[in-house]
Amino acid sequence: MVNKIKLLILDFIIAGLGSCKKETNVVYEVNESTVNTFGNPKERIKTTVEFISIAYQDLFGNTISAQKLSSLSVAYTAFGDKKLIEDMIIKNFINQPNTTIPTQAVMMADKQKFISETFKKIYNRNPGEYETWFMEKEITDNASLTPKMIYYAMMTSDEYRYY
Amino acid sequence: MNRRSFLKKSMVASAGAFAAPYILPSGRLFAATGARKVNHVVFCLFAGGVRNFESIQKAEGNLMRAMLNGNEAITADILPAMSPLPNSPLPLPLQNYGTLYKEFRYGTGPTGHYNGHTTAVTGTYTAVDLNIRDNPANPTIFEYYRKYNSTSQSALNTWWVSNSLGPYPALNYSKYPGYGAAFGANFIAPTFLISQEGYDALGNMQSFTSSEEATIKNIRNFMNLNFNKKFKDNEVGVVNETQDVKRLQDFILDKFNKAVSGQYANPWNLANGGIMTNDMYNILFAEEIIQEFKPELMVVNMQDVDICHSNFTQYCNNLRKSDYAVAHLWNTIQNTPGMANDTIMIIAPEHGRNLNPNSIVDNYGRKALDHTSDQTSREIFCMVIGPPSVVKQGQVINSIQGESIDIVPTIANILGFDTGIPNGMLSGQVLQQSFI
Repeated sequence: MVNKIKLLILDFIIAGLGSCKKETNVVYEVNESTVNTFGNPKERIKTTVEFISIAYQDLFGNTISAQKLSSLSVAYTAFGDKKLIEDMIIKNFINQPNTTIPTQAVMMADKQKFISETFKKIYNRNPGEYETWFMEKEITDNASLTPKMIYYAMMTSDEYRYY
Repeated sequence: MNRRSFLKKSMVASAGAFAAPYILPSGRLFAATGARKVNHVVFCLFAGGVRNFESIQKAEGNLMRAMLNGNEAITADILPAMSPLPNSPLPLPLQNYGTLYKEFRYGTGPTGHYNGHTTAVTGTYTAVDLNIRDNPANPTIFEYYRKYNSTSQSALNTWWVSNSLGPYPALNYSKYPGYGAAFGANFIAPTFLISQEGYDALGNMQSFTSSEEATIKNIRNFMNLNFNKKFKDNEVGVVNETQDVKRLQDFILDKFNKAVSGQYANPWNLANGGIMTNDMYNILFAEEIIQEFKPELMVVNMQDVDICHSNFTQYCNNLRKSDYAVAHLWNTIQNTPGMANDTIMIIAPEHGRNLNPNSIVDNYGRKALDHTSDQTSREIFCMVIGPPSVVKQGQVINSIQGESIDIVPTIANILGFDTGIPNGMLSGQVLQQSFI
């Protein structure tokens, strides 16, 4: 397959050079690389209590009280679609005035720093280069994108269910 | 074509010749099975344990005037403790709209709440005593319904409504291989969810516009693609379709708004709103689910009569209130387009209570009752009511007929998917005597 691509590229180059020029033996090739999934090896699914308490810690910067956890657990237990309830809990958390979610201005002032710190806080790891590029592009291209939206998207993703 | 592929295609073709199967958008194969009697079933569990003495035998007078014929006076000594209740919203007691089994039975197994409820929703007696956080070992009626019914598999179509937590959140699906959360019911404990705690946890959500939601979805999808595992939704319970989640969240928020604005202070305009019990509120929210979603299968749990362990007189009072609530529910169903004249309601206690009392005496000098698997605690009643073209009206069966494990196959038969359930899964019988 690699040889076929090399030949194809060579054909285009030869055709582009035209017949009046002296033929140059140039070979372009792509470095082989192994694509890894991003992220640390997270193997364990968070329990419901872990999900709530970790989310609280991530958004408010301190440990959830036993009383608050108990109250949240009641609501959590009282409905069968846990993912739906988790979604509501996260939306309620990020709507609180005392979260540690950075402001829009902070995000725009240093996008790469915001991305890096957000990944560390939510996923407990550094972002991959592709992730940084994607997020920076999203922030740049979409003026309505807020830090709350990014937090919400990441905290309702598959990776956030694991630790 | 490999062997598996060949077999799969052969089976689909064979099924097509008999039952016209079709593939739903989810990709699951459903085969149309039997004919439906009606399109909706509501199963009301008089949970907590009810003795036949106080219910159909009217030993303390007719405590269940909304359900049972007769004006027998309530025993004088406990009468002062009875809350004022309005007349039933129905022109006739419920037994006139169907068939009453006066000698139904909870056949075997401990007469405990876990066992009673598990039997009611699985159609299988269980001797397992207590592991209340565990899903039942056998498939529930909800899973049978979602796996074998022929018209819809949405979780919105099946609800398990409980007035308490404890073991009950685990009863919306089983751990039986091949069934499970993917076929489970939407469980709700409304009086816990629509509470101050629930409101604090869920009632003040950040809202996003549809455009913002699209951007969020795009970012989330990117993150998911970069992660090396796919989180399976049903690892955290029953799963609703994406389009249904918003509807459900809006439904929950609407209940919060109504609670905040005081609309649940006295929702049925009773003479004294303070007499609303958890059972009555549970029925109220079941009615709101019915009006919003028109589910095909709903099981409603009432538990307030369980106070009988310590207060016999209050047990009698709560029995009256639950009786009124069930009539209110039937009235609501008959006033809900899409459910009216197309619903069968089954009413039965999970199990009974003991012949002999314990030593606790209430303020009226009455001794309390437990439920410890004596013969009396196996004696219950059952009522099957529905449209006169389908259900025999005003029929009373006095002999010992029917038992708890018959309700699941009866529901499956009513909704036309009983022939889809593999042989040997259920040992109960369809309550054929109920139907025209």
